[in-house]
Amino acid sequence: MSTIPNMIQKCLWLEFLMGTFIAGTLSLDCNSLNVHLRRVTWQNLRLLSSMSNSFPVECLRENIAFELPQEFLQYTQHMKKDIKKAFYEMSLQTFNIFSQHTFKSGKERHVKQIQIGLDQQAEYLNQCLEEDKNENEDMKEMKENEMKPSEARVPQLSNLELRRYFNRIDNFLKEKKYSDCAWEIVRVEIRRCLYYFYKFTALFRRK
Amino acid sequence: MMVTLLGATTLVLVSLAMWVLSAAAGGKNLKSPQKVEVGVIDDSFILRWNRSEGSVGNVTFSFDYQKPEMDNWIKLPGCQNITSTKCNFSSLKLNVYEEIKLRIRAEKENTSSWYEVDSFIPFRKAQIGPPEVHLEAEDKAIVIYISPPGTEDSVMWALDRSSFTYSLVIWKNSSSVEERIVNIYSRHKISKLSPETTYCLKVKAALLTSRKIGVYSPVHCIKTTVENELPPPENIEVIVQNQNYVLKWDYTYANMTFQVQWLHAFLKRNPGNHLYKWKQIPDCENVTTTQCVFPQNTFQKGIYLLRVQASDGNNTSFWSEEIKFDTEIQASLLPPVFNIRSLSDSLHISIGAPKWSENKPVIQDYPLIYEILFWENTSKAERKIIKKKTDVTIPNLKPLTVYCVKARAHSMDEKLNKSSVFSDVVCEETKSGNTSKIWLIIGIFTVLLALLFVIYAVKVLLRCINYVFFPSLKPSSNIDEYFSEQSLKNLLLSTSEEQIEKCLIIENISTIATVEETNQTNEDHKKYSSQTSQDSGNYSNEDESENKTSEELQQDFI
Repeated sequence: MSTIPNMIQKCLWLEFLMGTFIAGTLSLDCNSLNVHLRRVTWQNLRLLSSMSNSFPVECLRENIAFELPQEFLQYTQHMKKDIKKAFYEMSLQTFNIFSQHTFKSGKERHVKQIQIGLDQQAEYLNQCLEEDKNENEDMKEMKENEMKPSEARVPQLSNLELRRYFNRIDNFLKEKKYSDCAWEIVRVEIRRCLYYFYKFTALFRRK
Repeated sequence: MMVTLLGATTLVLVSLAMWVLSAAAGGKNLKSPQKVEVGVIDDSFILRWNRSEGSVGNVTFSFDYQKPEMDNWIKLPGCQNITSTKCNFSSLKLNVYEEIKLRIRAEKENTSSWYEVDSFIPFRKAQIGPPEVHLEAEDKAIVIYISPPGTEDSVMWALDRSSFTYSLVIWKNSSSVEERIVNIYSRHKISKLSPETTYCLKVKAALLTSRKIGVYSPVHCIKTTVENELPPPENIEVIVQNQNYVLKWDYTYANMTFQVQWLHAFLKRNPGNHLYKWKQIPDCENVTTTQCVFPQNTFQKGIYLLRVQASDGNNTSFWSEEIKFDTEIQASLLPPVFNIRSLSDSLHISIGAPKWSENKPVIQDYPLIYEILFWENTSKAERKIIKKKTDVTIPNLKPLTVYCVKARAHSMDEKLNKSSVFSDVVCEETKSGNTSKIWLIIGIFTVLLALLFVIYAVKVLLRCINYVFFPSLKPSSNIDEYFSEQSLKNLLLSTSEEQIEKCLIIENISTIATVEETNQTNEDHKKYSSQTSQDSGNYSNEDESENKTSEELQQDFI
């Protein structure tokens, strides 16, 4: 049994190596965006995990359910653009959460790295969305006209649901006055959220 | 008599009815307003409505609100007993992502019925208000500081403090030619302007993901300063050399000292952060050349902004334009590593992954094009091949000639226009045409011979192995003579458990005759030994030990 965590460690280390040693030309070509997105998201996940050694037991009492809206992953027919938009929104919201509060010096370095990573994520997504907007405006209109007669409507990726989720997190932090326990709980929650979006990027490949 | 009584009652009844009717009619006169408009800008909720017909005089209006999970209506603070047709209820602390319902009624001496306004989600209805703008003038640039719309503790934009992007329109006061700049952050420098000119601009904020665009701020005008003696450095770029970054720029004058500052790019998203401070690069302080070299580990992975300033001792220039420096992009495209295999009329090149100096392989997950240059060692004429694959064959070469090859990688994405430097030159001689065939024949021949040899050797080996490990179990003829009794033969040669026991018994010479009954012989032996164990001490001990050993041995075999 002790070999399994070792294996996981090795896999994570390999991924980290892969990330660090990629002599990247960061391609601004959106077709290879998802590779970089996965890399940056994975790095952010690792950063969040390494922010503290273990979840303090006394904070379990204060834990609440934030109800991450999981319908993103249930419907695979979402347009690639909607997925990108949701990802962009999520990157900005998470960035916002980490920007609101000045952390103690121990964690500040980690938080700065997460902010750098999230900013990169958001920057790449923004550029791609801009590109899409300029190139595909005509194509989109044609597609929308085609889609209207069909009855099978895929539920729209709701920006509002995602905002409600982050509003719950924000209110929780404000209520608990940004205590250490509150941050620990939020850190774990954001890690979960990032992980769902990491799986999300796999949907890019399918398209 | 009866008739008069009847007439009186009908009169009373009729008058009563008329009185009731008139009273009711008086109440019906007051109607609730039918059209209510809800306007939300930042945190202000402004309601507007029209007076209903027939309502004159001192009519006041009141509002109630209801949240989805509530059953009852609550009085809306700030909108009670309003005499005008407008009210503002920003003071209410709401969850802006939750639906809310409103209702209005008119009041005079009596109240009208309630009219319910369509429910709405405040965030959806909200409009982005004008941002606050502060300007600073340079000689050929204007630095613009934008504060997000709403207050710092705004409830509406609580999640969006870092998400706003801005766009502005700028024009010279004298002309009407407008220039539009979009997608900027809260600190921006508009450059390439003329000195001593008044420029005017207006800014609006936007939230792209929520598809909201705000209203323009009021127009702000500022005059640029007199042209500075020292212009700012220009054409700043960063390239990579070995393990260092080299920052280069252009400057028109000589004998200047420069300094370089950097900033995390993400701070542009939230300028209120206390970390928002430009910091010096130590290796680039007071350099006298138009470049400076600093090691790659000065910067963690990320996106940064760099700016350069010139100074001649007395005066300093304004800061140069800020360039974005992404360590991921700037990281060098390493030259490829390749192997050459020479054939008689061609060279086969297999390109592999480049390595860092510590021999760790680089995993590249982006598409590359390889450019291979080759030439005859004696001549200078270079020929080029460009391929996407990592296995390239250069055909149609002269045999027994030395060719030299070098290669470099290009990113397939033309936008980036990134290329590595050339790899080291490797020279290899092509093989001779005829001799190669002879070598081929000899080679095949040798292989066949070797194969035969190997087969023979394996055969011999197998024979040995069979001899040593799997000896044939047939006894030699001598043994056959001695042991005519089948059972004894079985004794010596078989390996069943029972026989083992018999073997042990044979050690006790006294019981050699009793071969068939295994258990019984054992017990007999025991009885025998116990009967003769009058001599305590050695003899019985010996027996016991012998018993023990036999049992142990039995156990071992079992």
